[in-house]
Parts: sequence; C-alpha cells; structure tokens
Amino acid sequence: MTFEIEIGGRTRAVAIEKSASGTYRVALDGRPHELDAARVGIYGLSLLDRQTGASREVQVTPAAVPGELLITLGGRVVAATVNGRRTGRAAADGGAGAHGEQAVAAPMPGRVVRVLVSPGDEVAVRQPVVVVEAMKMENELRSPKAGRVKAISVAPGMSVEAGRILVVIE
Amino acid sequence: MKILVANRGEIAVRIIRACREMGIASVAVYSDCDRDARHVREADQAIHIGASPAAQSYLRIDRIIEAATHSGADAVHPGYGFLAENATFAAACRDAGLTFIGPSPESITLMGSKTAAREAAIKAGVPVVPGNEKPFASDATDQEIVASAAAIGYPLLVKAVAGGGGKGMRTVEKPQDLLAAIQTARSEAGSAFGDSAVYLERRIHKPRHIEIQLLGDHHGTVIPFVERECSIQRRHQKVVEESPSIAVDPDLRRRIAAAAAAVARSVGYHNAGTIEFLLDRDGSFYFLEMNTRLQVEHPVTEMVTSLDLVQWQIRIARGERLDLDPDRALTPHGHAIECRIYAEDPDLGFMPSPGLIRGLRPAAGPGIRDDGGVGVGYTVPVFYDSMIAKLIAWGATRGESVARMRRALAEYQVLGIKTTIPFFLWLIEQPEYGTGEYDTTYLDGLLATRRESFSELDEREEDVAAMAAALDAYLRASTAAAGQNGSKGSGVWKQAARAEALRG
Repeated sequence: MTFEIEIGGRTRAVAIEKSASGTYRVALDGRPHELDAARVGIYGLSLLDRQTGASREVQVTPAAVPGELLITLGGRVVAATVNGRRTGRAAADGGAGAHGEQAVAAPMPGRVVRVLVSPGDEVAVRQPVVVVEAMKMENELRSPKAGRVKAISVAPGMSVEAGRILVVIE
Repeated sequence: MKILVANRGEIAVRIIRACREMGIASVAVYSDCDRDARHVREADQAIHIGASPAAQSYLRIDRIIEAATHSGADAVHPGYGFLAENATFAAACRDAGLTFIGPSPESITLMGSKTAAREAAIKAGVPVVPGNEKPFASDATDQEIVASAAAIGYPLLVKAVAGGGGKGMRTVEKPQDLLAAIQTARSEAGSAFGDSAVYLERRIHKPRHIEIQLLGDHHGTVIPFVERECSIQRRHQKVVEESPSIAVDPDLRRRIAAAAAAVARSVGYHNAGTIEFLLDRDGSFYFLEMNTRLQVEHPVTEMVTSLDLVQWQIRIARGERLDLDPDRALTPHGHAIECRIYAEDPDLGFMPSPGLIRGLRPAAGPGIRDDGGVGVGYTVPVFYDSMIAKLIAWGATRGESVARMRRALAEYQVLGIKTTIPFFLWLIEQPEYGTGEYDTTYLDGLLATRRESFSELDEREEDVAAMAAALDAYLRASTAAAGQNGSKGSGVWKQAARAEALRG
C-alpha cells in the first residue's frame, strides 16, 4: 500500500508491505527501511528500526481540521495529510500546501480591537490580520496562508463569538 | 477545617492537594463548562456557581460566598487571578464569618494601588523607580504633564495606577510623543480597570525582573524568600521563571530580601505576597509593585526551599506562628525553572487553541514536578486563561535543571490541542537562555521578527513523522479490514481507514 504524506510543504511517497515476520518493509521515496511498529494506546506508535535498533515514539492524532493529522515527535508537533486529503485550513507553513480560501475565525469570544488589513491587501503566511481582546489579553490572529484579503466581516469594537469568521484570505 | 477553593484549573488542583495532605476537606466551585474539570473531580465537594463566562461564575462574589456557607466551609482560598486581589471579596468573606486565606482587605486595597504602594516603599526606605508620587489629576494641564516628564527624564513609561499585565502602559522615547501616550494609556486603563488615573516612571534600560516571595503571620513575623527571576516575558506576561537568579549574589539577595520585608512589615502585611523589583545592570534595584496573593510561579520557590507555601498560607490563616528558619527560606538549595504550558499555538502568534484533550502524558522522573489542571477527555474552554499546566524542573545546578527541563518538555505529550511546549523547546536552546544573559525586553525582541515554526523538524525527523503517518493509516486500514465482518464500526477513523485501504 502506498501513501502520499505531506509535511511542511513536502510530499513523500511511503510504500508499506508487511513482512512474514510481522515487521514492515517501508520504502520512503524509494529508500528501504524495515520497521517494527507497535501500537501504544489509541494514537501512539512505537517504531523500532530493525537495522539500527533506533527507537522513536510518535503520536498521530486527528487535528481539529478535517483530514489533517498532528504528528507529535519529541515534544514538537507538525501537521500532516495522508493522500492529499486536506480540507479547511491549509498547512500552517502555507506556501504550496495552502489552496483556496481560508477563513480566520475567532478562537474565543472577545472584542475586536484592531483590523490590520484591508480588502485586497496581499498578506504573508502568519501575518497578523486582526487583534481580538479576550480575558484582558490582546490576541493577534494571523493569516493561515499567503494570499489576498477577500473579505473582512468585522470592525473594531465589535464583540465576536468563538468561531465567528473575521477575515477571509484567498 | 473545610476550605472552599474559589478558583479553577491547575491552581485549584494545587490547593486541593495541599488540603488533602493536611487532612482538610476541600470544596470546589465550577461553571457550566467545568462540570467535568479536574478540580471538581478531585475536591471532596463541588458546588455549581453559574454560567461559563467568568463574570457569571468565578467572579460572582455572592454565589461563591453562598457556596461556602451552604457547603459548611469555614475558609476560602482565592488562588490567583479572578477574585484573588479583590478587596471587596476579601471583606465579603470576613463579613460572612469566613477566613480569607490571604492578606487583609486593607492590605489588598493599599498595595493594589501602584502609587500608594510606591509611597509605602518610599516610607520604608526602599528605592523606587524615579517617577511621580501621585497620579495626574484628570484635569492636569499639558504644561504640568510636560514639566513633570522633563523632571523625571526620558525615556519614560506612562503607567496606569490600577494597571497590570501591561495594560494601560506606554513607553515614551521623545517629549513630542508624551501627550498622545498619556491619552491612550488613560483610555485603555479606563476601559480595562474602570480607573483612568496614570503616572510617569523612568524606564530602566533593559532591566531584569526579580521578585521576592514573602510570608507574614498574624504575630508580626515576616520572612522573605530567595528571589525568583521572571525576566523571560512575552508582552509583559511571564513565560518562564527560575530561582535563584543568575544575576543575584548572596549579598544582593540579602539586601533585596531585607528591602522587601521592610515594605511588607511597614504595612502590617500577612499571609503570602510577592514584591517585584527591577534590577538595573549596575546592580541597583527598584521597588516595582506588590502582588497580594500566591503567585503562579510559587513552585520554583518551593522546589529550592523544600517548603510548601500553600500549606503555610493555610497555617497562617489559622493563626499559627511562622516559625520556620529564615535562613532556610533565603538559602536556595539547587536551582528550579518553571515553564507555563498554555493551550496556545505558538506558530500562530500564540493564539488560544482550546479544544478536546485526546491524550495527556505529563513529564515525570527525577527533579520534575507537574502542576497540571486538566485531564484526558476534557475540553479546554474558551472562557478563561488558557494555561493548562506548569512544568517545573529542579537540579543541583542551573545547568542540571535546564537539562532536566529539556528532557521533560520532550517527554510531555498533550494530544488534540496545540500547546506552547514546542516554543519552550526552542527557547531553551537559545544561547542567551543558556548563559542567562537576558532581560525583560529579550523575548519580545527575539519574537518580533520571527516567522518560522517552532516545531521545525530536521529532514530525518520529518522522515520518521512521514513513516509514522503512513503506518498509522496502514494499521487503521488493516484493523478496519479485519473488523469488517461482524465487529461494529468505530466511526470516523474506521471510515477514513477504509477509504485509505481502497486507494492504497
């Protein structure tokens, strides 16, 4: 079985075949590995490289965004998709992975303090677009992708509920 | 004795733990969205006090007093935040015959005003940052303000009397920016604190934030503790704290601690409090403000002194004498660091990342303490501060505690939501963090231009992540295929896995 895994804007082809001894022959972009994979809990995988004995613990969890996975490895977390099935928010790193329209939504109820962009503005990935105050803190909400501001649906002073779409980037 | 904990999250759990160790019954309070929260489950009793927004629950003095009376509590611990520095709440507890585990309402009012607190420090002979002794009157003329600023000298800070957390604070580099800064600070303070009074203070160039923990009993004893260093701040919010400070030697420690104790004694302070100082590069220090409560970062002090500050708060409130050895409080044993783990996405400007916690494995092992407030299956709500845990590392030396923190951060798993763990793993590798050569402006300066992800993996780690994602999909597809005859489906994962199997 072959999977296309996209992480950080790069896609790798991973072919997997179970061996007679129960290990997995994994070809990563054609480079062979032999891995012993044990499930640990619902999301965990313990991976042992059969050649080197190298041991890695990895957690694969569904993200809030449908189709996106979060891979936790040594305290760090990266987003991944399997076979390009990514909908909703694009890769946090933007670039090639970020297709189509993306909305910046309020993650918590609060008050819009400032709108930092105007319709038609070009924005970079992670560029702050709206400042929302919640729990006495000003939170800069950033663009999930590089693109152009298509619509702004709020103005300074407005109260917003969690999930309210503030800005649409295309 | 029975204590009602007027708080939520990790600090409520922390206080309940102290109660249990002392054989004291605990009562939790909770809002709608906290029904399944950890503090509710761990307390002996729990009382619902209202809807999820804090203003309708954790800030409702009447409901909390009623919950205390109804549950038969005889004391209230406010934790930090919410009502912890609210003199009206402390007075309401007293009026209801409840012991407030904290200072008197009078101390809270006095030290809660930045200008009154400055005055108290000056009277106690403690240096303060040069600045106004009184806030400007609301009808102060532009000439008065300009003259006052010239006397203090630039650069300076406009600060709100009722301020906190960087709100109502403005830096002014040049005289021509002064009046506009006064205006914005006044309006910000007015809307945030309901008090628009502001004053001026000279801005110390790249200071360190050093603070002294204190305990005071009802019999006139005040004991200062070894300092905490809290210079790693993001937009005036502490992010990492440690004790002792690399910038403080035993002589300076004795002098700062004596100054802090003098301020507390001069106002008849009792229970736990913290006096914050700015430490200049030349070794001079200035009183900044007093926090009249237990601080978030109290565990680093506990780790280097082996004393339990929450238990001492309770003992003091019961009228016991503070009979601990002052040398023990002032002499650090080893070194401790705390990282505040927030449900925030550091890669999206530290935007809150509330949601369902699908998995949780806190770090453990030698020298590690996890003060957590959440559990698996809990949905981090959108209504409150997003801190979910504090990770504390102790070592015999700073190098050892840093190494333990690095190990523990990599070990800590929080699944389902984004956290600040990757940010801490990055920060701890910065050369200035390693050497301790930082000040309160350091982190903001570092983050101002940074746009890269904090979770960047190297090529080999990305390979491992990709293989894991593929194996995960493969294993779920195999399980799904094996389970197709008979066993019941398990929702989204299984459907997704079947789709993968068909495509593969």
